[in-house]
Amino acid sequence: MWKKLDKLVHNRLILDRFWEIAGAVSIRTKILGLALGLVLLVGIGNTLQTRMVLTRNMEAQLRDQSVSVARDLAARAVDPILLNDLLALQDLLLETKGNNTNFRYAFIVDQRGQVMAHTFGEGFPVGLLDLNHNGNLDHHHTVLIDTDEGLIFDTAVSILDGKAGTARIGLSNVSVQQAVSQVTLQSVLFTVLVLLFGVVVAMFLTRILAQPILELVEATRMVSRGDYTHRVHPWANDELGTLAQAFNQMSQDLAQIHELRQEREGLQRQLLEKVISTQEEERRRIARELHDSTSQSLTSLLVGLRMLETNCKDPDQQQISDLRSVATQTLDEVHKLATQLRPHALDDLGLSAALERLTFEWQARHKVLIDLAITLKDSRLPEGVETALYRIIQETLTNVVRHAHAHSVSILVERRDGSVITVIEDDGKGFEVCNSQGEYHLGLLGMRERAELLGGHLTIESNPGHGTSVFVEIPLFTEDNLDGQKETHLTGG
Amino acid sequence: MRKFLFIPLLFIFLTPLFFGCTSQQPYEVVGYVNLKDLQPIQAPKQEVLPLRVAVASIVSPKGTVQSYEPLLDYLESQLHRPVELVQRRTYLETNELIATGQVDLAFVCTSAYVVGQDSFGMELLAVPQVNGETIYYSLLIVPSESSARSMADLQNKVFAFTDPISLSGRMYPTYLVQQLGLSPEDFFVQTFFTYNHDEAIRAVADKLADGAAVDSLVYEFAIARDPNLAKKVRVIHRSPPFAIPPVVVSPKLDKDLKRELQKILFSMGDTAEGRKALESIGVEKFTTIDDHAYDAIRTLLSDVEKTR
Repeated sequence: MWKKLDKLVHNRLILDRFWEIAGAVSIRTKILGLALGLVLLVGIGNTLQTRMVLTRNMEAQLRDQSVSVARDLAARAVDPILLNDLLALQDLLLETKGNNTNFRYAFIVDQRGQVMAHTFGEGFPVGLLDLNHNGNLDHHHTVLIDTDEGLIFDTAVSILDGKAGTARIGLSNVSVQQAVSQVTLQSVLFTVLVLLFGVVVAMFLTRILAQPILELVEATRMVSRGDYTHRVHPWANDELGTLAQAFNQMSQDLAQIHELRQEREGLQRQLLEKVISTQEEERRRIARELHDSTSQSLTSLLVGLRMLETNCKDPDQQQISDLRSVATQTLDEVHKLATQLRPHALDDLGLSAALERLTFEWQARHKVLIDLAITLKDSRLPEGVETALYRIIQETLTNVVRHAHAHSVSILVERRDGSVITVIEDDGKGFEVCNSQGEYHLGLLGMRERAELLGGHLTIESNPGHGTSVFVEIPLFTEDNLDGQKETHLTGG
Repeated sequence: MRKFLFIPLLFIFLTPLFFGCTSQQPYEVVGYVNLKDLQPIQAPKQEVLPLRVAVASIVSPKGTVQSYEPLLDYLESQLHRPVELVQRRTYLETNELIATGQVDLAFVCTSAYVVGQDSFGMELLAVPQVNGETIYYSLLIVPSESSARSMADLQNKVFAFTDPISLSGRMYPTYLVQQLGLSPEDFFVQTFFTYNHDEAIRAVADKLADGAAVDSLVYEFAIARDPNLAKKVRVIHRSPPFAIPPVVVSPKLDKDLKRELQKILFSMGDTAEGRKALESIGVEKFTTIDDHAYDAIRTLLSDVEKTR
């Protein structure tokens, strides 16, 4: 029972191993193997079968021939034997030899078992006499004798019911073997021909079967690369054809979805751009308003208060001085607010000045050491780029203060062939980039979107305890940025 | 699951192969012989010298074996020694064997006895008795459709002789032709020898010959065996009676053995086996006659010789 189970498991393992190998080869090899295997099986089976049937039939024929020749010889040998006419007997044997193909030997044995005549010439083969007897005086007695010249059908026929002895005939099996070998050779040759044909057919089949599959695989790769335009040519109206059609339909659907998504993304992007530019514009307007109108009003108020102070009597003087101090403080705050909303420097003096001012103020306010290095080759960047970089650095500094608790920050802004690179590094506590959540995460997302709107990209590298690096690269003079510049010019004008 | 699909497929295609392989060689090899290993044939060792009995080819060799087998067996049992049958195509060959002592006992033709007795002293041992007599005739036979009524009608025809020295088959018809004043060579368009009487009857029955002369004893025996033959041949002439073909011995045979053989032959009618053997050769019994009974034949033979 256990043995049986073991054997079963063993067979199962062999099958698994077989499939592991057979399953891994290409369809081409499978089809080829199948075709060649079938042809070989049928060819070998057919060859063996033909060989067997032919051998059997030809041997039966040879056997029958030996019987008929022996009986003929026995009938014709009666008179020469009885008359002791050895010459006639020898002639009869030679005639029998001449008249029969496959003839190997013939001899006559008298009733005492003495060889009277034979066709061997000088002497008689040792042991041949005893190998066949027709002791029971049957119609004939045939045996197969193995000799140095191959198999021989030996038939013994009694002459005159044994009263005149026995006639023995040996017919060689060699011609049968030759015929069988020839047929075998032909059969093998035919099998080889069919094998060659099988290879061609299998190649053709492989082409029919594997080619569409390979095309589908290629098409799938193109789709995964984002090329939805490629269509598979359906080869035939079979399962593979259906698959090709289904694939084409899928490609078409994917293309539509992709188009729709791109359209939507474009709209979102436009919307975002609009939001950002509107925000900037609004900030700029508010800042200008604060600067021009509110600051002027506050300055006028201060002037008025100073005049009132000089003209007033002692008891009111202190109160006016307090009011003036409040107004001065308010003016400062308005200035600061305006600068935060939209620093003048950014519009008037460019990114370098704006950043220097920003960092100066931040150092002063938050006691964080900032190392600023700007290499912009004394030329203004497109306004969109300047704004974006300014806002990204501003947001980063806000994050540094709010979350990183860093002691020092280094900011590098550098113009390199066709793009501007900004690196902001701090020695703060760092964070898991992929785990960032909430408002902080939204802030990072905003930074990234600003960069990407201009065709650039933003990378954040950070690990808990190892500080944070923000890397921004924005290409210059791309369509996005020029558009931005144009837009800024228009709005600026 | 799909990986098991190939198993039934394998079976389908392998089945014929297995069928092909399971069938066996129908013939069994009984042994091995080297056909090039030739050795001279050893001469047979004769422990006991057999009694050699010759039977003249009055009938065919095969017919002789069948007819004389019981007689030879009988002799074997009476003599307690093997008996060997010797046959030769012609009477003269048989006579030669008797003369040199290679044959002890012989059943010969009448003229063969006359010739043998004359040339080397062949000894008369016994004669068979058939129908109560020790005589026989030469019968001139023709195909039943033939219009011939006598030898004269067979001129320019084909004639079958039996043995060159046969009395009934050669000498007597030659004598008849000589009476007509011609030699057989001139009288017949063609002649041939059949060497025994059976074949001569067959030659006429099959119309290979237009006529033949045969031993009346053989003829009657043949007709009795095959009644159809009577419809095919017709006897147109019967010779005067001749002394029957005798049983002879070689002049070199031991006299005691000669007497013993004579005794055995004469007493054959006493036992069932003996009677059966006699019946097989169509003989009632063996008896003796005087050598003078053959004198008429001697005269006929010398006449024929002289005319030649």
